[in-house]
Amino acid sequence: MKGFRNLSTAARLTLISVVICGLLFPIIMTGIGQVAAPWQSNGSQVYYDGKSIGSDLISQDFSAPVFFHPRNDSASGVDPDITLTYALSQVPRIHNATGIPESFLNATLEKYTQYTMFFFGTKYVNVLNVNLYLMESFPSIYAPYVQ
Amino acid sequence: MLTLEDLFVVAVVWGTVIVLSWFLSSYLLGVFTGRKSRLDRILVPVENFIYLLAGIDSSKNMGWKEYFKTLLYLNAGEAILAFFILMFQQSLPLNPMHYSGMSWSLALNTVLSFSSNTNLQHYNGELTLSYLSQMSAIQFLQFTSAATGLAVGVAVIRGFAGKARTIGNFYYDYVRSLTRVLLPLAFIATIILIFMGVPQALSGYPTVSTLQKGATEILYKGPVASLVSIMQLGTNGGGYFGANSAYPLQNPSQLSDLFEIGMMMFIPTSLLFLFGRMVGDNREGRTLFLAAYAIYGIDLLIAFLSTTVIGRGLEVRIGGVASTLWTVTTTAFTTGSLNASLSGFNPVVILTAFFGMLIQAAPGGVGVGAMYLIMYVIVTIFLVGLMAGRTPEYLGVKIEGSDVKLAVAAFLTHPIIILVPTVVAFAIGAESTVGLAANATGFTRIFYEFTSAAANNGSDYLGAAGNTVFFNVATGIVMWVGRFLPILFMLAIADGVSTRKRSQKQGLKTGSISFVVILVFSIFILTVLTFFPFLVLGPVLQFLQGMKLSIGGVIFGL
Repeated sequence: MKGFRNLSTAARLTLISVVICGLLFPIIMTGIGQVAAPWQSNGSQVYYDGKSIGSDLISQDFSAPVFFHPRNDSASGVDPDITLTYALSQVPRIHNATGIPESFLNATLEKYTQYTMFFFGTKYVNVLNVNLYLMESFPSIYAPYVQ
Repeated sequence: MLTLEDLFVVAVVWGTVIVLSWFLSSYLLGVFTGRKSRLDRILVPVENFIYLLAGIDSSKNMGWKEYFKTLLYLNAGEAILAFFILMFQQSLPLNPMHYSGMSWSLALNTVLSFSSNTNLQHYNGELTLSYLSQMSAIQFLQFTSAATGLAVGVAVIRGFAGKARTIGNFYYDYVRSLTRVLLPLAFIATIILIFMGVPQALSGYPTVSTLQKGATEILYKGPVASLVSIMQLGTNGGGYFGANSAYPLQNPSQLSDLFEIGMMMFIPTSLLFLFGRMVGDNREGRTLFLAAYAIYGIDLLIAFLSTTVIGRGLEVRIGGVASTLWTVTTTAFTTGSLNASLSGFNPVVILTAFFGMLIQAAPGGVGVGAMYLIMYVIVTIFLVGLMAGRTPEYLGVKIEGSDVKLAVAAFLTHPIIILVPTVVAFAIGAESTVGLAANATGFTRIFYEFTSAAANNGSDYLGAAGNTVFFNVATGIVMWVGRFLPILFMLAIADGVSTRKRSQKQGLKTGSISFVVILVFSIFILTVLTFFPFLVLGPVLQFLQGMKLSIGGVIFGL
């Protein structure tokens, strides 16, 4: 009889817990997120011409020689960033493919450089942001390659 | 090499967490001793309503058998509910991606994993689970297993403190863990995570056309932030995504990375201070804190000295320092979340990860970390007593033969459930079913799998490749035994100690720095002696084999 009471309490507390922790909590947080920070809550999407072109945080498939390329061997497989060193090594290729002066490309990378640790650490750039900036700066060169 | 950057990062993270944990421990003391609080006006009616609905008498003191039985029934009930949600998610709501249900063995593995606070994952969440499963199976069990761990930790501490002369009432500890600790902290953490860039949405996974012509990407936006909050605070570690915290939507920046590291350290650290507060002598809490952080610090130092260069397997935005700090911390606190691929690390880092999981108390997971530290204290006091020829005493209580036997049983549970299944796996050739050979690398990975399962850690090499019936069932059993058997033994000790006579004079000064040194030394000796042959066959051999690569041309080593 006492064993049955324990089981019945366990079953009821299970249901109460799932309603609070597994339904109410995430749903309320979704409501708050969508109101307070809709951009982040929906995946930090970058818009161009009013249309989403993917997330700032997810690497994109850049294979044409006119773009900076991401690397695909990292842990997540969608690392949106590359080290500044790797980006600089791609400058001559992009210059050859587009005719954009190397000095402009280097300046662009400098403009978008971030550090792994606030103001020191490894320097890196976000590939999508750099490519988007190049496209906006040279629309006629990039027109054949973009959506 | 240890750089200035490394030292700066560790100092900032440790400093912040330790100070905040000290304040949290004061709050926890109030929560679990029933001290009046300004929150009572809102929370007491909520808690009373829960007690009423479930038919709970929260004022009744429980013995260790009843405390354990109620805890086990509740965890079993929660696991069963989650099992059915995972198996039948295709017929349930909130599945806009139309994913089908899990196989029985994968669903079994997943619920045993999450209900034991392990979070070993043999699947990729974003490709397998509906929104409902992520919320009402995964996130749900992350809350309840953390609440169970916190309840147990508090019960054991309460027993040793002896003021209440009982280990308490499980339902009271569990409900208050949720309403006053985990839910409020997760609420704050979720909002911070959202602002840092972690999604929180329920509108499906859109496919968008990306910048370059012809390319697309699927945007996996879901209730990620709320899951990550409890996954880290509750030292659960199982992520929304298969790539865990390496995936940018779960960990968008170095700032979020350090925040998430701090979250997993927060509650386990405060429990060490809570011990001192409950006992009524902060030096006793300081002993546990210093011993745990000394071991954690030694692990960190070893890991940093073996340089990790950014390369394969590490995320650029996070970098080598924060990746190494994360990996050592996630195993020291038995969380198990990852922000890099384990195969990207030097074997020495893996060795320190092993130490974190084998010890389980440096400082260990929510609640149970403190419990394991107390276990080591009992064994150490017994050993010192043998050498000095004195009756072992702790906090003025005589430690009896039965206490030592139970503590040793709790300690031995761990090697048995790691070593036996590792040997069985190789004996039946299970390594080949997950694409591994019977060499040092294969051995390290299988040994890591069972160590991680037994320690309720959950980090692993196998990931979705581990989804075979053998590994699902074997690790499932190991996870539950590794979770609940030591809890049973430690509750029994604590209950016995709670009513025992206390003397004012103290034999061994356990609040002293010299005892901290003895404790750390004895933890290392006990662990190394138990696991040495296995560590040699795995990561140590791998390290020695790797030596010849670093001395290019001339072949040294094995």
